[in-house]
Amino acid sequence: MTALVTGATGFLGGAVVARLLAHGTEPIRCLVRASSRAARLERLAESHAELSLVHGSLASPEAALAAIGDADLVYHLAAGTGGAAADLFLNTVVASKNLLEALLRRPQPPKVVLVSSFGVYGTAGLARGALVDEDTALEAHPERRDLYSQAKLRQEKLFREYRDRHGFPLTVVRPGVIYGPGGTPISSRVGLNLAGLFLHLGGRNLLPLTYVDNCAEALVVAGARGGTDGQVYNVVDDDLPTCADYLRRYQREVRALRAIRLPYPVSQALSWLCERYYEHSQGQLPAFFTPYRTAASWGGNRFSNAKLKSLGWQPIVSTDEGLRRTFAALAS
Amino acid sequence: MKQNSQSRSPGARRPLRVAIVGCGKIADGHVDEIRKMPEQAQVVAVCDREGLMAEQLATRFAVPAHYDDFAHMLEQERPDVVHVTTPPQSHAALALQALAAGCHVYVEKPFALDGAQAAQIVAAAESQRRKITVGYSSLFDPPILRLREMVAEGLLGEPLHVESFYGYNLDGPFGKALLADPGHWVHGLPGKLFHNIIDHMLNKIVDFVPDDVPQVTALASALRPERSGDERDTMMDELRVLVRGQRVTGYGTFSSHIRPAAQFVRVYGTRNIAHVDLLARTVTLESSPKLPSAIGRLVPPFEQASALVGQGLSNLGRFLRSDFQYFAGLRNLMSLFFDSIVNDGPAPISHRDILRISWMMDEIFRQVRAQSPAAEGIA
Repeated sequence: MTALVTGATGFLGGAVVARLLAHGTEPIRCLVRASSRAARLERLAESHAELSLVHGSLASPEAALAAIGDADLVYHLAAGTGGAAADLFLNTVVASKNLLEALLRRPQPPKVVLVSSFGVYGTAGLARGALVDEDTALEAHPERRDLYSQAKLRQEKLFREYRDRHGFPLTVVRPGVIYGPGGTPISSRVGLNLAGLFLHLGGRNLLPLTYVDNCAEALVVAGARGGTDGQVYNVVDDDLPTCADYLRRYQREVRALRAIRLPYPVSQALSWLCERYYEHSQGQLPAFFTPYRTAASWGGNRFSNAKLKSLGWQPIVSTDEGLRRTFAALAS
Repeated sequence: MKQNSQSRSPGARRPLRVAIVGCGKIADGHVDEIRKMPEQAQVVAVCDREGLMAEQLATRFAVPAHYDDFAHMLEQERPDVVHVTTPPQSHAALALQALAAGCHVYVEKPFALDGAQAAQIVAAAESQRRKITVGYSSLFDPPILRLREMVAEGLLGEPLHVESFYGYNLDGPFGKALLADPGHWVHGLPGKLFHNIIDHMLNKIVDFVPDDVPQVTALASALRPERSGDERDTMMDELRVLVRGQRVTGYGTFSSHIRPAAQFVRVYGTRNIAHVDLLARTVTLESSPKLPSAIGRLVPPFEQASALVGQGLSNLGRFLRSDFQYFAGLRNLMSLFFDSIVNDGPAPISHRDILRISWMMDEIFRQVRAQSPAAEGIA
């Protein structure tokens, strides 16, 4: 079975390649853009004959088709992570469309494991403490959410539209907050750094962490198991800490932060003011916070990995060990 | 059928119906600014040949319609005005198509690929009796408007020389994107990176050099160390331009490496020198010492400090009045353009200036090509 990994040079992509190797998947092809830093993958490929790098892009269906080749299984991780709205949509949604168009040119389209995001859920409308699982409704007002969530939501819908129309096998994996050495030190769900002052917004909310290797394992399991076509799997680890736990441990094991805790009602009040000012000033300052986005990001939910575990997935690194490794890497 | 002309009395005037073609980054700015002038104009549709890009723009800004076919949009929406915000390679074709459909046209900079295309668009606008403008929005930023007032008031005396500096950061998202991709549309422009940027530098020089065909000398180089072995290596990143008119000279600097990546204009007159900092949005005058000897050398720094404090306070006042907007120039330009359509008055940027800048860019790129690494057989 030939597996193709898009976004293989990314934080999660590298871990997926490692887990595929660990599972004995072969051959493995990694799609690498000319601009990507691929030295680590290149070194890995030197010692693993089953691993190869394909230099290309998803900039057009033709380019995507060349990249896909004869792959039976596509792990689609490539996505925009920042920049202007147009860049995010281009790199996430349009790139996905090119991949989909290319898939359909194959007589037997490969199975796709799409990496989506918790950002696609309509959490702003949920009560505080409500359970977020695979049955939670998707965001009904993407235009009110952050650009990343908007792009990921449209990407996922696009895959569903194509699947409904053309019937290729698709499994969607929605990770929570992916962390680990080399990842983002502190998720925005915990809080935000504002000119040297850390605004602690998450408080006692559960932090839906998934250690990068655990998340990669989930992708590999979802790709390998039968009966996953059309299914969605959330990825969070066991023993989730609260945002306050995470921050406390970060401060103890990595470095002290000048942090100020903003209780949720205060965050909501400030968000309301921020949005009013944005409207009043006609966008002189961007609306960093709005009540809707604050509710979606810091409203506080519970999470379940029961469906993923029903596939046989188990975290290979405990949350305690994952945090220790992450903070040790950050401290060094 | 929807009408695409403003023929009613001023009291009953409806907002202009604007359609946007090209849903990349700058299109956000156009839609957002037009939303702030609902009595003048409203965006009725957006179009991109990649339908998903049109859809995302329409969704985020609640634009009523989106299209992936320009001709279809023109036919369905009958807009009064079309804003062309695509990459420059398609500016001329889209502008001509919109003019032929009876629309007024705002073309983002650079206006066209070359002077011939620019002349074609201008000729079509004149024969169709439709307005056109080009996105030289920085010419309508408040500091440049203040500079023009100062010149008109005679504060500078007769301007004899102008210096226009444009610093650019290739490490920004756009720079990174074009350096990463040999197929990026910037590499297909006759003037490559310069083509996409230097209008901002040149239009401030052309404002003060009235000659139809001034003498132009361009010096270009590529100072970044990276080499890719492909088309990207032919892209120059430093440019100096000397413009010599009958009485006024101009000097333009485009730099991708000088830090800070400043943007300023200095106008040297027979009485005073004006310095416009386009990023800090300050306009200050440098005058000859009014007092003799050592006192005369002691006072100017305090005068300059006082002038900057005054500018800072003025900007603070603007900020408090919500009048310190990033896209102030774009908004001013669009507003003037819409006014010119409604009142059938002169467009905010003359056809002559559009053509002079297009000619000047052709001339610069002709000289630059002769100096490029490709011309030396390196690429």
